[in-house]
Amino acid sequence: MGRFILRRLGQGLLVVLGVSLVVFVAMRVFGDPAKVMLPLSATVEQRAEFEHLIGLDRPLPEQFVHFVKDLVTLDFGESLWQRRPAMEVVFERLPNTLMLIVSGLGFAILLALPLGAIAALRPGGIVDRVTVIGGLIGLSTPQFWLGLLLIMLFAVNLRILPTSGIGSWQHLVLPALTLALPSLARMTLLVRSQVIDELNQQYVKTARAKGMRFHTVLFGHALRNTLIPFITLAGWEVISALAGYTVVVESVFAWPGLGLTAIQAIQRNDLFLLQAIVFTVAIAIVLVNILLDIIYKFIDPRIKLA
Amino acid sequence: MRMLKGLLTGAVLLASVALPMNAFAAGDIVVAIGSEPSTLDPQARDDGGERAVNDNIYETLMARTADGTLVPGLAAAEPTKIDDNTWEFKLREGISFTNGEPFNADAVVASVERILDPALKSEQLAYFGGITGAKKVDDLTVQITTDGPDPILPSRMYWMKMVPPVYSKDPKFGEAPVGTGPYKLEAFNRGQDIVLVANADYWGGAPAIDKVTYRFVGESGTRLSGLVAGEFDVITNLLPEFVESVPKSATVQGLETSLIVLSTDNEVTKDPKVREAMNIAIDRQALADSLFAGYGLPARGQIVNPKAFGFNEALEPYPYDPEKAKQLIEEAGAKGKTINLVGESGRWLKDRELIEAVGQYWAEAGLNVNYQIEEFGQYLTLLFDQQNRPDAVFVVNSDELLDADRPMTQGYLAGSGFSSNSDMDMKAKVEAARTETDVAKRKALYDEVTQAAYDGNYLAPLLNAQDIYGVSERLEWQPRVDAKLIVKEMKVTE
Repeated sequence: MGRFILRRLGQGLLVVLGVSLVVFVAMRVFGDPAKVMLPLSATVEQRAEFEHLIGLDRPLPEQFVHFVKDLVTLDFGESLWQRRPAMEVVFERLPNTLMLIVSGLGFAILLALPLGAIAALRPGGIVDRVTVIGGLIGLSTPQFWLGLLLIMLFAVNLRILPTSGIGSWQHLVLPALTLALPSLARMTLLVRSQVIDELNQQYVKTARAKGMRFHTVLFGHALRNTLIPFITLAGWEVISALAGYTVVVESVFAWPGLGLTAIQAIQRNDLFLLQAIVFTVAIAIVLVNILLDIIYKFIDPRIKLA
Repeated sequence: MRMLKGLLTGAVLLASVALPMNAFAAGDIVVAIGSEPSTLDPQARDDGGERAVNDNIYETLMARTADGTLVPGLAAAEPTKIDDNTWEFKLREGISFTNGEPFNADAVVASVERILDPALKSEQLAYFGGITGAKKVDDLTVQITTDGPDPILPSRMYWMKMVPPVYSKDPKFGEAPVGTGPYKLEAFNRGQDIVLVANADYWGGAPAIDKVTYRFVGESGTRLSGLVAGEFDVITNLLPEFVESVPKSATVQGLETSLIVLSTDNEVTKDPKVREAMNIAIDRQALADSLFAGYGLPARGQIVNPKAFGFNEALEPYPYDPEKAKQLIEEAGAKGKTINLVGESGRWLKDRELIEAVGQYWAEAGLNVNYQIEEFGQYLTLLFDQQNRPDAVFVVNSDELLDADRPMTQGYLAGSGFSSNSDMDMKAKVEAARTETDVAKRKALYDEVTQAAYDGNYLAPLLNAQDIYGVSERLEWQPRVDAKLIVKEMKVTE
């Protein structure tokens, strides 16, 4: 186990380096902060001057040496946009996104298992139909629209929750719910179909025939076998949320998370901040992947960690 | 089922706990702005969010009234010209920064030198081109020097915020600003809000509103919801179609003019008849009514803002004459010829809609319009590329200094900014006006330039948009031409 984790960490490091390199090149080839950040009326000379001030007029190899030094010392320089260390911005915004992911996706993960399993007990029954229809609605509703709808209902009409912002648990409810619903729908439908499949397997019939009680079969075998694909999907939900999928929720609810910050950094061509964000997110994703592998092993001891 | 019941009970409980959410104290307001200030250093960045807050903390030597007239601010009177390269300001007496540092000639010198210092990497330098330094004469007299005659210097000093000389060197300065203005910072909660409280010792008298909280809400729909739900008192950039949905709205003629730059040298558009046709083919009143719900006026044939120095009162909007436009296109033999129309999407209000509507008018006049909508960075490259001018390029000019020099340099001066002509006579006039310190002569030069550009159809000015704010029932406020959110001008009625 220890060796496995070490090896995966090593591989992860390569991934992080690769991703950072891509960002380094892409931002310098396609972006020009001097153009986007100065007022539209700035002259060509003023733009050139600004480029010189922020050091982007130096040869690419020289900038690359700086960049590698930054990576090694974990110092990503000063954000052009925020005028403070880029890592400071990242560490300020990351907890907000994590809070959103843990509460929103945590809620979805905890609810999807029982919901899907209950629906699967009687395929075609009333509970099942409600679940499937609800799931399809959840899957096909644009998150942006869903967020505004929840704001209209709970904040404008009922006035029981704030429309946007951060600061108290009340502020967290609507964004977390908006983030949770599409994931909840996806995961519930997956659990449902997996459990239905499992319950139709021969081994379930055998177990039942030899007198094993139904809920032992359900919890001990069918659900347990469902857990592997379920965790794969749940992991994917977490990873895509980390990789910026939360941005829609964050902008609708003015939630100061990392996804929103990344978009703003891209709009402003703030390459130093973006490098710091991508680096951090890449590390987080590598860690989540390692965690997932360990959980697999825990659920199904036959899986070899290689 | 039991679980569902439990959930519902929980939701109701949650509701009852959360109810007293919108309880305001009297005299406290909440303003929702579109973006969080990146820093509260008033001299570093060109950032609307930062300005919205700092315009209440800091002051400038020159100020503007709500309708845009330039008046002395921290200066005691209008500046006087000592020689071609020097302006002298007398300062108001007895003003100090809220940390106790006095506001005097030393503070002005420190403020000017700080913003010019390359170490600050100030994005605002674009507004201060030509300023070389400042010199103290006595405690309340200061001279600002330029590298040539600069008639716009007083307007420039309306943009430069005065900072405390000692404390502005502190590394925490960008987090905890200290100015001479009517408000001072109480809290800067990154990502969450900024709270300002009234400066009881303000030299102009303590303001009516005791406390103002700024919230950062990028989505216009969310800002609207917050206003309707009673969480906000002022929201910025209200979309015209939402005016009916808010408790109150307030509008003012804005700083922005949308326009299309027509190239005088390209294959099809070099024919003056084609450019005239392109101008009179556009129904500007219809654009204002349909896209902006009437919250905009047809631009009066020029890039200069109606409130700015240099605006040519003699010009009227280009007439709408689709029949004559068709005829001109026929005469010029340009029927069916392709026009490349470059633009972007999402930077300015209704930009893409405007571009497509204009293209449609041109198509009706007989041209074949090829739309080229680019990502903003790429768009800027095309906009400023003086080697290859597009046939037509959309842009919105914002006239922050309310003076014709910058818009003219951008839109009319050959070989500079986004201008697309090679009119050397016009170039000479714009350049002469830049150093002409006689107000009447300078105005006369500008009138000649705008008239010539109008006759030559160098630009197709579209609309002067209005700024629309959503305002709560209890707030009384007349917005300003320069779009600044000055809280001391607001009042709460209850």
